[in-house]
Amino acid sequence: MIKLYDYVLSASCYKIRLMAALLGVKMDHEAVDFHPGRAHKSVAFAQLNPAGTLPVMVDGAMILTESTAMLVYLAKLAGPDWLGPVDAKAAAQVQHWLAFSGRLAASLGMARLHDMLLYQGDIVVWREQGHAALRELEAALTERRFAGGEWLVGDTPSIADIACFPNVALSQDGGVSLDAYPSVRLWTRRIRALDRFIEMPGIHRLHELSPAPKVA
Amino acid sequence: MTPRWIATGLSQDLPKAVVMAGHWQGHDLAVWRSATGRLQAWNDRCPHRGMRLSHGFVRGETLACIYHGWVYGADGGCKHIPAHPALTPPATITVASFACVEQDGVIWVAPADMAGAPPVLSDLQPLRSISLTCDVAAVLAAEPALQGQDILRATVQIGEQGQQVCLVAQEGPAGLTLHALCGVGADKVAVSRWVEDLRRRAEMKVAA
Repeated sequence: MIKLYDYVLSASCYKIRLMAALLGVKMDHEAVDFHPGRAHKSVAFAQLNPAGTLPVMVDGAMILTESTAMLVYLAKLAGPDWLGPVDAKAAAQVQHWLAFSGRLAASLGMARLHDMLLYQGDIVVWREQGHAALRELEAALTERRFAGGEWLVGDTPSIADIACFPNVALSQDGGVSLDAYPSVRLWTRRIRALDRFIEMPGIHRLHELSPAPKVA
Repeated sequence: MTPRWIATGLSQDLPKAVVMAGHWQGHDLAVWRSATGRLQAWNDRCPHRGMRLSHGFVRGETLACIYHGWVYGADGGCKHIPAHPALTPPATITVASFACVEQDGVIWVAPADMAGAPPVLSDLQPLRSISLTCDVAAVLAAEPALQGQDILRATVQIGEQGQQVCLVAQEGPAGLTLHALCGVGADKVAVSRWVEDLRRRAEMKVAA
C-alpha cells in the first residue's frame, strides 16, 4: 500500500489526501510532527527526504517528494481522466498549472505559514506575490467562464485544479482575502462540491449541500 | 454621506444559493441569493458574535452563520438557534437590510429607504469585476478617453475594432473595484485583457 508521510495542517499534504479521496485510493498515513517538533528537518527524516519537506510518498522502492508528482502518480493509477485532456495544448496547460501551484505555495503558502506557524520572512512581499498569483488565476478562470468552462483545463476537474486549490482556499489564513476574485471563489465552490470531497482545518465542505441536521 | 446606489458586484458572480461579501460606503455587506433566486444585501455581521455573515451559507430561503449556525430568514429576522432548538428567537434579533436590486447584470446596493432606481446601463453586457490598488483618478489618467466619475465610459480601440467599454466604480476597504461591461457581441476575452492592461497602466502611474 502507498504510504504518505503527512501533516494535517499542511496544504501540500492535504492536496494528496484530497486527490486520493476523490479517486477512492486508500493510503497508509504516518503523521510527522512538523510543528512544533520540526521532525521533517531531523537527520532521521533526511534519509527519506534530504530536502526536509512534506509530504513524502513511498510505494515500494519509489520515494516521491514533490506533491505534483504524487498527483500524477495517483491519477495514473486510479483515474487517468484526472490527468486532463491528451491534446498538446491541454497537456501543456496542465503542466503550467502544476508549476503555477509552486508559486502559490511560495506566496500564499508562506504567508499562511508566517501567520499560523510562526515562519520568519517578509509577510508583505508574500501577500503581494499571493495577490499577483491570484490575479493570474482569476484572469484565466474568467476567460474559461467566457467559453463556458468551469475548470482550469478541459471539461472535467483535473490534477491542475487539485494542485492549485489548497493554498488558494487557505489564503485567508495568511491574511489574503478572496473577496476581489469572484471567478476564483466560484471555482473553489465547485471543487468543494465534488463527490467524495474531504475537508481539512480551514477548508470546510459546502454545508448547504447536505440537509439541515435534524433536531432530536 | 449622500444616499446613492453603488454597484457591488455582477449578477453572474452570484448564482442561486450563494453568499458573497459586498460594500456600500463604509458598510460591509453580505449579499446573497436564495435557492429560488431572491437577492438581498444585509449588514455583514451576525448579531450573535459578530461573525461575517458573508462567510456563512445559504440553505433554501435562509442565510446561516458559519460560527454557531444561527439562521436568518428573508426579513433579516433570526428564525432558528441550533443550540436552543425549542426557542422562538425574539424579533429583536434581526440583521439590518439594505436595498438591493440587479439591473443590466449589475448588483446595486443602497440604504433601505433609498428612493429611485439605479442608473441604466442598456445595450451592454456584464464582463467581469476587477480590483485595483489605485483610485479612479489614476484610471482616468491612464486612459484619457474614459468619461465620467462613478460610471466611466469610452469607445476604445481593441485589436482591429472600436469597442464600447463601461467601468462602474466601487470604493471599498481593500481599494477600488471596477465592474466592467462591454458591448453586446464584443470579444469578451479581448476586452478582459484590455481591462487588465488598463489596470497595469493605472497602477503604474501611482507607483511612478
